[in-house]
Amino acid sequence: MKLRAIVAAVLLVTAACSPGSGEGGGGDGKSFEFWSFSGINQKAAVEEYKKKRPEVEVKLTEVGNAQETAQSLTTALAGGKVPDLVLIQGDDLPKFVEQPQNFVDLKTLGADEIKGDYLDWVMAQSVAKDGQILGIPTDVGGMAMAYRTDLFAAAGLPTDRESVGKLWPDWNAFIETGKRYTEKTGQPFVDNAATSVFYQAVNQGSQKYYDDKRELVYSTNPQVKSAFDLGIKAAQAGITAKLASFAEGWSAGMAQGRFAVVAAPSWMLNAIRSNAPDTAGKWDLATVPGKSGNWGGSYLAIPKRAKNPKAAWEYIRTMQSPQGQLEHFVKSGALPTTPSVYQDPQLTARSEPFFSGAPIGTIYTQSLLGLKPFYIGPDSTTIGTEFLNAITNVEENGGNAATAWDDAVRNIKTAIGK
Amino acid sequence: MSTTLAPVPVAPAEPPAPRVGTPLRERLAPYAYIAPFFVLFAVFGLFPFLFTFYVALFDWNPIGDQTFIGLDNFTRMLDDPRFWNATRNTVSIWFLSTVPQLFIALLLAHLLNHARLRAALFFRMSVLVPYVTSVAATAIVFAQLFDRDFGLLNWLLGLVGVDPVDFVGSTWGSHVVIAAMVTWRWFGYTTLLYLASLQAVPRDVYESAAIDGAGGWQRFRHITVPALRPVIIFTVITSTIGGLQIFTEPLLVSPGSSLTCGSVRQCQTLTLMLYEQGFGRYEFGYGSAIGVALFLMVVFVAAVNYLLSSRIKADR
Repeated sequence: MKLRAIVAAVLLVTAACSPGSGEGGGGDGKSFEFWSFSGINQKAAVEEYKKKRPEVEVKLTEVGNAQETAQSLTTALAGGKVPDLVLIQGDDLPKFVEQPQNFVDLKTLGADEIKGDYLDWVMAQSVAKDGQILGIPTDVGGMAMAYRTDLFAAAGLPTDRESVGKLWPDWNAFIETGKRYTEKTGQPFVDNAATSVFYQAVNQGSQKYYDDKRELVYSTNPQVKSAFDLGIKAAQAGITAKLASFAEGWSAGMAQGRFAVVAAPSWMLNAIRSNAPDTAGKWDLATVPGKSGNWGGSYLAIPKRAKNPKAAWEYIRTMQSPQGQLEHFVKSGALPTTPSVYQDPQLTARSEPFFSGAPIGTIYTQSLLGLKPFYIGPDSTTIGTEFLNAITNVEENGGNAATAWDDAVRNIKTAIGK
Repeated sequence: MSTTLAPVPVAPAEPPAPRVGTPLRERLAPYAYIAPFFVLFAVFGLFPFLFTFYVALFDWNPIGDQTFIGLDNFTRMLDDPRFWNATRNTVSIWFLSTVPQLFIALLLAHLLNHARLRAALFFRMSVLVPYVTSVAATAIVFAQLFDRDFGLLNWLLGLVGVDPVDFVGSTWGSHVVIAAMVTWRWFGYTTLLYLASLQAVPRDVYESAAIDGAGGWQRFRHITVPALRPVIIFTVITSTIGGLQIFTEPLLVSPGSSLTCGSVRQCQTLTLMLYEQGFGRYEFGYGSAIGVALFLMVVFVAAVNYLLSSRIKADR
C-alpha cells in the first residue's frame, strides 16, 4: 500500500513537471537573461551593447562549453527556468530545430525582414519543418588549411600561400602532397585523417546524411562514400600523426611541430595561438582542397517561456546586423554570416601576424561563397561520429579498411535505429 | 582507524511511555528532527531512483514527445551489441582493478601494523593521499603517463628498445590504464580499513606465534587474513558496487572521443553508455533502461556476496 502511495506521488510530481506548461512574456522589457559559452569572450559583445543601449540590463551567464550550454538548455526547457536569449552551437542546433515548440518563432518578432542578410545555407539550418525560424546565425567557421612554412621549406615544398593552395586542388592531390612530405622528412604531414580529411570533404557535397526531403541517405549517398574513402586513403597513406583533434597529444603535437598541416576554420586560429605560442609567424593559411568549406558556427535563439523576448530580440537585431557582425569580426576575428560585408575594407584589410600576415577576412569568406545548403538533421552528429570513429579505428588501431564502411553503416543503424 | 572508542554516553533515564494525553506536537517532534535527511533523500535519492524505472518505459525526449513503449527499451538493449560490449568492459575493468587493489591493501595493512614500524602515523596517513586527490587530476596524470607519443611509460619502454604501445587505443591497454587509476585511488582507503580491524587483533597473538616459530608469511596467512575476513568481504562488496558504476576514469582517459571511450568503444563502461544515450543523444528512456539494468546487476552481485558471507560466518 505504502509503495503504491509513493508511486502515485511520483506520477503526480512528474505530471506537474512536464514541459510546455506556462507561456512566456510578462517581463519588464528592460532587462534580459543571456546564456552563452565560456571561452569566446561574449562579455565584450555585451559591453558593446550596453554602450549602445545603456537603459537595458543584460544578465550574462557563461554556462560552460558549447555542449554543456546545450545540455543546460535542454534541462531548462524540460521544466526549469529558461533564459531569454541563448547561444547554441551549430552541431547542437538540429536537436532543438526538431522540437520547435520550445522556442519563439522569430518570424513573429520580424525575422522575415532580416533573414535575407545572412548566408542562405546558414539560415536554412535554423528553420524548422513548418517554416518556423528558431535562430539567427552569429558567426560561421569558414575553412582553410593552416600549414607550417618552416616545415614545408625543409621538405622542399613551396611556402607562399598561393603556390601551396595550388598543390592541392582536391583531396587526392592533398594526400599525394602528404606522401611527398613524409617521404622527404620521415615525419607525419597532417594531424589526423578523420577530422582533417573526411570531416571536411563530407561537408563540401550538395547533400550529406539527409536528402532534400529530409530522408536519411547516409548509406546510399555517393558523396558520403567518396569522402569516407578519402579518409580511409589518408589514414592508410602513412601521412597522419594519428592525433585526434582536441586531445591532449594533439595540442602538444601542434606545439612540437609533429605535423605540418591542420584543417583550420576561423575559430581554430585562436586554438593554434594558445596551443603553440612559440610557433608565431611560422604558420600560414592556404585554401582548403576543393576550395570551399565550413566547420562550426553558432545561433542565437529565444526560448518560448522567456520572460523578455522583445528585449532579447532587440539585442539580436542590433548586434547581429551586418554592421554589428563586422564590428565583432574586427574585435574578435569571429567570421560574419552576412555576405554584404564580405567586400568591406575593414574585413579584407585584416591580416594576422601569427599566420605570416594572412588576410583572414578574404581567405575565409571566399571559402563560404561556393557552399550549397544541405539539411542537417537530428541524427547528423551521431552519424558523423560513427564515421569518424571508423576511420580513426583504421588509422590508429589497425582496423580492417576493407570492412570499415560496412562496419560504420552497421554501427549507425544500431545507434539511430534506422 | 583507531581502536579508541568515543566515550559511551550515559544512558538517559527511560522516557515515560507516551500517554494518551501527550500533545500531538510533542509526539511528532522526533519525526521533525530526523526529517531533513529523509526529505533530502526523498527528493534527491528516492524520487530519481523510482523515476528512472518510470522513464525506462518511455521513448522519452526531454524537450519533445514522451511516448509509452512498454518494455521496448529493454528488448532493444538486449539486442544491442554496444550494451554487451559495455558490460564486458565494466566487468573486465572491475576485475583488473579490484583484485590487485585488495591484495596490495592487505599486504600494506600487514606491514603498517608491524610493531617495530617507525613513523607509523606518517606512513599510515600518506597511503590516503591518492584517495583525497581529485579523480580528474588523477585521470589526467595517468593519461599522460600512458600516452602513446609523449608518455613516461613509453619513454622507458623505448630505452630498452620496445616500440611505443598505444595503451588507450587498445582494448586490454585501456582497461589496464583505467584499472591502474582505480587501484591507485582506492588502495589507501582499503588499506586503512584493513589496518583498523587489524589493530583489534591482540598483539600477543602475533608474539606467541613468533615464539612458536611462525615466520612473517605464516603470521600473515594464519593470523592477519582470518582476522580480516569480515572486512575483506565488506570491501569486496563496496568495491564491486563502485566498480560496476565506474564513470569518471573512462570518460577522461580518451579525450578524442570521450563518450565512447575510444573509436571502437574499447573502454566504454555501462555508466558511460548510459550517459552517452541520455545526455549525448537525449534518449532518456533508453538511458534509464541501462540504468535499471545496472541496478539489477548491482543487486545481483550484492545478493551473491551476502549469501557467500553468511555461509562464511556460519562456517566459523
